[in-house]
Amino acid sequence: MNFIVTGNTDIGLTKSTNQDSLSMKVISTPQGRMVLAVLCDGMGGLAKGEVASASVIRAFDEWARTRLPMLCNAPLEEYVIRDEWNAIIQSQNRSIQAYGAQLGIKLGTTVTAMLITQTRYYILNVGDSRAYELYGGIRQLTKDQTVVAREVAMGLITEEQAHYDERRSILLQCVGASAEVYPDMFYGDTQVNAVYMLCCDGFRHEITPDEMYQYLQPDVLFDENGMSQNSQYLIEVNKQRQERDNITVALVRTF
Amino acid sequence: MLEIGSLVDGKYKILNKVGQGGMSVVYLAMNEKANKQWAIKEVRKDGVLDFEAVKQGLVAETDILKKLNHPNLPSIIDVIDQEDSFIIIMDYIQGNSLAKALNEYGALPQDKVIEWAKQLCDVLGYLHSRKPPIIYRDMKPANVMLKPDGNITLVDFGTAREFKERNLADTTCLGTIGYAAPEQFGGMGQTDGRTDIYCLGATLYHLVTGMNPCEPPYEIKPIREINPALSGGLEKIILKCTQRDPNDRYQSAEELMYALEHYDEIDDLHRKKQKKKLAGFITALAFSVIFAITGVWGYLSAEQKKKDNYDYILLHADKVEDYFEAIATDPTRTEAFLGTDDYKGLINFLIADGELTSEENSHFTKFKTGVESKNISGYSVTVNAMDIMKKENPPGCEQVCFEMGEAVLFYYNVNVEKDKYAAAAYWFQNAKESYPVAKLYCDINDCIQKINAYKKAEQFAKLSDEYKKLWEQLTILKSEATKFDEDIQVRVWNEIIKMINNNASEFCDVTPKEEVLSMINDIKQDCSKITNTFLQNTIEVLTKNIENTITKVNSVKK
Repeated sequence: MNFIVTGNTDIGLTKSTNQDSLSMKVISTPQGRMVLAVLCDGMGGLAKGEVASASVIRAFDEWARTRLPMLCNAPLEEYVIRDEWNAIIQSQNRSIQAYGAQLGIKLGTTVTAMLITQTRYYILNVGDSRAYELYGGIRQLTKDQTVVAREVAMGLITEEQAHYDERRSILLQCVGASAEVYPDMFYGDTQVNAVYMLCCDGFRHEITPDEMYQYLQPDVLFDENGMSQNSQYLIEVNKQRQERDNITVALVRTF
Repeated sequence: MLEIGSLVDGKYKILNKVGQGGMSVVYLAMNEKANKQWAIKEVRKDGVLDFEAVKQGLVAETDILKKLNHPNLPSIIDVIDQEDSFIIIMDYIQGNSLAKALNEYGALPQDKVIEWAKQLCDVLGYLHSRKPPIIYRDMKPANVMLKPDGNITLVDFGTAREFKERNLADTTCLGTIGYAAPEQFGGMGQTDGRTDIYCLGATLYHLVTGMNPCEPPYEIKPIREINPALSGGLEKIILKCTQRDPNDRYQSAEELMYALEHYDEIDDLHRKKQKKKLAGFITALAFSVIFAITGVWGYLSAEQKKKDNYDYILLHADKVEDYFEAIATDPTRTEAFLGTDDYKGLINFLIADGELTSEENSHFTKFKTGVESKNISGYSVTVNAMDIMKKENPPGCEQVCFEMGEAVLFYYNVNVEKDKYAAAAYWFQNAKESYPVAKLYCDINDCIQKINAYKKAEQFAKLSDEYKKLWEQLTILKSEATKFDEDIQVRVWNEIIKMINNNASEFCDVTPKEEVLSMINDIKQDCSKITNTFLQNTIEVLTKNIENTITKVNSVKK
């Protein structure tokens, strides 16, 4: 199985800094090619959110560089990946907190990290960035850790109300701002001729899953150029619809 | 940035940096003239994007805060607008925040938390009662300072409200916004005092459980699910504080304060205790009832026994002492004096022989003071039977007195008329209420005593008046006599005749002789009508007396 990867980001209409960070890597291993995609949506006062998001990205890159080759000497185990990523998150949480305390500010970041191997995919999620699978339809792979998502899950409000809820951008947790972080993990089988998409919340507020599927489904994405163009097109649509946040989207096309 | 050691406003010497916030730094400063420490909060202009707005908010807010005066609030002394910063001078609060205590010790002792909660509640009540009300909106352990004396101070209050207004378009994390009540996110109604109640409830939850409600599982569970040793009352208070709907919470700080002051009363443990107390009370009550019944039963049995004793004594009475014993046993009863169908009373016992000797009369006079009797322990006690009967059985007492009076009047064998009347009048005196005749006897006695007194004093002028009165009373007595039983009637007539016989000339002086004679003749006639054979002897004596008296009256010269 082979991969084409693209990443697009935009500062958006109102922000003075882009606090999103994104990393896409195609890695050759003894077990074949793999993709590690990490998307972080930083937040914080005084334009320091990008510090948090970049810090987490670097930590995952470091892991891919030092730990992943070692793990590939044996079949990958879900629990190993979970434990190692969890350790990354906990240590990042502590160091970002320490950094914030030093400056007297609060900052943090969401994390959606996805490792796609020849057979399986592994996702770690903290916050409200999302991973989707576009394969004969569009399917959200992660669960948002937001106040409204939780209220929907508890049956207190409907999906429709959640969309307009004032609290839709309040996260239950993020890396760097809570004393403890409990990441979600998701696993599944990798499909051939599918598109895996990571995006921050800015990308998905104003456009519908149908629109995403229309422009990003495997049938319309053949090369890196087309993928990037279509990503950029949807970013522009978002901006036309007055999305205020930073907008970032990452695509992995399998073939 | 203020230099350590520099002087602010000419008097505050910066000693040390003690804290740092997003856009402000807090210093410890010393007013060297007054030798007092202050905290100085410096809000840097370069750190704030829109400083003018912030400054206006700050000025407005600090103006309000300057007026606040509460033991749990730091007072703001001064606000200085400097070139590149904005300086707030306020009380320096010693000690650490509760957030730090939580970090170090985890969950904090419940009784202390409740003590702090009361103080916080007091502050909130104070703030909410300002006009317009001040809503704190940011209650959390980090904003509560624990002073070395154990009291707490609510800080971070000088910052303008603008700082706390959240731009919700930006992604934020629960961990950074504190225990925001649902309505603080907008769309669910205005924030008001009840918002602070929610945040206080969340703060208490965090303090007693050590679990931050802003961390997974992001909910406020009943605190005893986390630590069963905690109070059920406190659990209820925290749950009520943190209801989603403000209407379901405590509606004011005062209401919450009341709940906190009585938290142990809504505790299950307390209820159990109360139930135990109730059980104890019911047991005691049951025993009281049982004992009361036993007591009443015992008393009634004793009374019955007493009655039995009384009757037994009287039934076998054959000497005066027996009657006294019976009377001492139950002074309230009249049977010992008056007798019943089964036995004779004391009075009848004494006059059975047809006369009352002066010795027998002395038994009556004993009742004037009291009868000697022996109590259960064998000690001699004086029972004032008449007093007791008068109190417990007034009609019985009157009857007894009347009967004793009659016994004395009709049977006392003393020759001196005035002594007999005096002795009888003593008893009639006590029977006047119910027996009109008793009063009559008393009046007659009165006349006799006066007549004697006047005679002794040789005041003859007044004598005739008294005799006139005496005559009138005899007339009334005579007419009254018809109402009595025959034997009494005869006795009364006898007395009247005796009286006339003794005072024939005096009566004839005050009233026509014919009248005196007609009364005697009336009595004579009435006598002849009496057929009772038991009285024949008495009537014979009486008839003889009448004849003597008629002769005596006839012989009276004008």
